[in-house]
Amino acid sequence: MKNGFGVFYAVVIALGLSWAGFVVAPAVQLGTAKRTTVLVTGDNWPLQRTGAATLGEQVYRANGCVACHTMQIRQDGVACEVTLAKPGKTPEVVSNLLATLKLSGLTKEEADATIEKISTAGGKAETHVIPTGADITRGWGVRKSVAADYLYDAPLQLGTLRVGPDLANLGGRMADANWHLVHLYAPGVVKGSAMPSYKFLFEVRKVGSAPSSDALNLPKEFAPADGYEVVPKPEAKQLVAYLLSRHADVPLYEAPFTPATKP
Amino acid sequence: MSEENQSCSLPSNAEPTATRSTVPMWIIVVTLVLVFIGFVFFDRHSGWFDAKVYAPYGSVEKVEAYQPGTGPNPMIVGKKNYEMFCASCHGSDGAGKVGQAPPLAGSELVITKGFHRLAMIPLEGLTGPIKVKGQEWNLIMAPMGAALPDADLAAVLTYIRNSWGNKAGEITADDIKTIRAEIGAHPVPIVGDKLMAMPE
Repeated sequence: MKNGFGVFYAVVIALGLSWAGFVVAPAVQLGTAKRTTVLVTGDNWPLQRTGAATLGEQVYRANGCVACHTMQIRQDGVACEVTLAKPGKTPEVVSNLLATLKLSGLTKEEADATIEKISTAGGKAETHVIPTGADITRGWGVRKSVAADYLYDAPLQLGTLRVGPDLANLGGRMADANWHLVHLYAPGVVKGSAMPSYKFLFEVRKVGSAPSSDALNLPKEFAPADGYEVVPKPEAKQLVAYLLSRHADVPLYEAPFTPATKP
Repeated sequence: MSEENQSCSLPSNAEPTATRSTVPMWIIVVTLVLVFIGFVFFDRHSGWFDAKVYAPYGSVEKVEAYQPGTGPNPMIVGKKNYEMFCASCHGSDGAGKVGQAPPLAGSELVITKGFHRLAMIPLEGLTGPIKVKGQEWNLIMAPMGAALPDADLAAVLTYIRNSWGNKAGEITADDIKTIRAEIGAHPVPIVGDKLMAMPE
């Protein structure tokens, strides 16, 4: 082979560059990531999962949920909204000024300029930082998913297909565990749900001396025969605990926003 | 090009050989222009591989610009710490509990203009009779705030002074630091009369 060494060097360089780009660079960038701090409250982020939720992560993995669900909220942009906090000593002047100003959909510079104008008129205004994007419009999340949200995930199950909705902030938007259990057993309770039934995570059994407190409260068409009840197996409870542990709803330095509720 | 074509059309029994030819100049120029455009785009949008920069923010400065407010909100941090350390005796509503702790809502010890006296209580503890809202209280409070960081204690006091109808202004971590330095390392519970003799 006349160009043997040339081919060898080319292969070394090609593989070396991919290794550097796909392995070394991410490890340098995020390999030493630690828990971070939530803006405004100063709490730690992310929260460590409970035991049940950690087991539930494996149930999620075993049942291939990742094939149809993603866990990553995308954010296309960010906008500022200016609201009046205190009208000040000359409320009429300020309200007249407010009527002439554009108050939402601003960039940070525009928002700062607007606040400057309002404070010259005597009022006091606040800026609200609001993430925008299709996922956020759908109500799947309030901000984009960032690396810190996945710190305790093993393995990382980001997902690539959205047959079902995104689950990155499920605990933040649908916190009712019983609803999730019913939906896993009988997805038909939700109109248009394309999810298959996960009946094998539940046990249909004869009611004993008293009905179980865990028994699902099912609508008539999905309920078992009289004298029987549907009880979730531990796997179902763990899966729901895991789903409810998925949160991406606090403001972080790398994904800032102004929380909706202020004290 | 024509020379190469000739070299390929040798008699068919000859062994074919790989030949070298120079890359046309225009390919090199186009590649360099594409690389340049790529680097300009990278410079504008990458945040230079900073782990804290995500789209739609292109740089650390942009992320910094969109931060809501400055640092933790003392009313939220204060409420969290109040519920943890104070609420079991003083109550979540600041109304106090008979035989356990006097009220904080509307207390003349809390809604003072200065906060020197108020900050002394969680830092040093309090013992002996005091009068709160016309009622005599003779209990012991441990120095609950002595082990708290300055910022957290300041937040708790700010929360107390601005909740349940109280409106008495903010206390900063530096204020607590100053008062802590006055007290020294070993706090002793203050007696009620001595506290009232102190400046606000």
